[in-house]
Amino acid sequence: MASKYQLVNLQGNHACALGAVAAGCRFFAGYPITPSSEIAERMALELPRIGGVFIQMEDEIASMGAVLGASMGGLKSMTATSGPGFSLKQEHLGYGAGAEIPCVIANVMRGGPSTGMPTRPSQGDIMQSRWGTHGDHATIVLAPASVKEVFDETRRAFALSEKFRVPVIVLYDEVIGHLVETIELPKPEECEQVERKWADSDKKTFKPYAETDDLVPPMARPGDGYRVHTTGLTHAEDGFPTQDPETVVRVTQRILGKLEKHADEIASYEEVDCKDADTVIVAIGISARAANQAIRQARKKGGKVGLFRPITLWPFPEKPFKQAVQKAKTVIVPEMNAGQLALEIERLCQSEQIVERLNRIDGEALEPGEILQKIGEAQ
Amino acid sequence: MEPIEIRFSGSGGQGLQLCAKILSLALNLENLRVAFSQSYEPTSRGGVSRSDLVVDDITPDYPLVTKLDYLVVLDQLSVGISNGLLNKDSVVLADKQLVSEPPKGEFDIHSLPFVEQAIQLGNKRVANIIALGALISIGNIVKFETLVEAVKAGVPPRFLDLNIDAVNTGYRMVTSPGVQLEEIKSS
Repeated sequence: MASKYQLVNLQGNHACALGAVAAGCRFFAGYPITPSSEIAERMALELPRIGGVFIQMEDEIASMGAVLGASMGGLKSMTATSGPGFSLKQEHLGYGAGAEIPCVIANVMRGGPSTGMPTRPSQGDIMQSRWGTHGDHATIVLAPASVKEVFDETRRAFALSEKFRVPVIVLYDEVIGHLVETIELPKPEECEQVERKWADSDKKTFKPYAETDDLVPPMARPGDGYRVHTTGLTHAEDGFPTQDPETVVRVTQRILGKLEKHADEIASYEEVDCKDADTVIVAIGISARAANQAIRQARKKGGKVGLFRPITLWPFPEKPFKQAVQKAKTVIVPEMNAGQLALEIERLCQSEQIVERLNRIDGEALEPGEILQKIGEAQ
Repeated sequence: MEPIEIRFSGSGGQGLQLCAKILSLALNLENLRVAFSQSYEPTSRGGVSRSDLVVDDITPDYPLVTKLDYLVVLDQLSVGISNGLLNKDSVVLADKQLVSEPPKGEFDIHSLPFVEQAIQLGNKRVANIIALGALISIGNIVKFETLVEAVKAGVPPRFLDLNIDAVNTGYRMVTSPGVQLEEIKSS
């Protein structure tokens, strides 16, 4: 019998491109930047073959603009970048959040700030991915930790983005981006594609930002004849700018509320051996892979250690996290920055657990040995 | 199984990535999985370069090397980067000509003439494939026949014969030292 899957050795960045294509992405605009360039390179190969569009734009800002335009034009759209480019994209990303334009941004993290260390891994954009653009806004950030997960989470990024009309960021470090792993790759026809909700109501009374039960207004498909106005200004249900305080509160709360309403559906996480754990590690990306090996070694020595790995990084899966650390006295947060995820964990743990930080900022990946040592010190 | 950690190191351009790629294919053919990482710097010509494999029957917890089971060194330049990753169970294969001071320690070390034999085969650039043949002979990581299959799949067709000779040379270098190249070519 022919296998449903093909076993391949695939690079993380290529998995991102193939995941996007499998999700139905048909537009990519980007500007090459280390260590994400292989995503653009692969998209330039894949998209023309299937009737999609690949554009190398003049810069990072224009790339993000093109992605928003293409998505409003009806195509599933994405771009890929790294820290410096991610900084440049923030204004348009905010526009996407405000005007509720589905789009996916892959950010492969390298050392920063500024141009930093282009070829070295980092996890320095954990906070920027949540708060990089100004104002109260809704975004979703997914943090895969393996090549297979990059493929799966890029697909999920499109699904969430289309379903909730929100920019979704796929965030991983250079190690995961350039890692090649043997994975089972589903055939494209096996991959479910999620379509956005298109407007089919009366054209005369259509309001592009009307409140709906699920808090996600349907989008008008270009050419269907709906009257639509799109702006970065705070807008009322009809799409036109407003500064009326009551209206502003209502429309802003709807946009923020749509992620809260669907929090359980958006949340995704992995929990390893947390049930009886007195020490729980919280980590993403390559740090989580190191933690995985560390807890296995610690368990062999009798240590009660677990791992909580947010796959949906933002909104942070608060409820499952609190459940996972119920028995824990100590929570260790290893990350390749000077302390970002730790801020969220400290907020969530308050005084119930001691939060221990473990940071690496030298451009090298965290190793299992360091985490194991930290576990030893904590117990 | 316990994961196996393998490193090919040398200078940029020696075909270290190709080695790892071919060995990955061979491992896949035997239903094993790899996590493959490499130095990511501008080292395509000269400069320290490495390709690392972590081999397991499932996706390994940690995909980067932490303690090498096998180390292949093709250039003196790259000896230092594996300090601290070797232990008494490690096996080191170093080129006799280009690695004048191989790593020192309690582990097994094989100083073998990869480059010299490659030159005799007519192309210095197949030293990597000779080393791969020798590694499989010493390490028993995959069956030799599987490696040959992977070489066939992994090298350009016009260089196939040369690479098959190279992988045979490496394998025989260990199993029957002193064997004549002419004998390998005709086999």
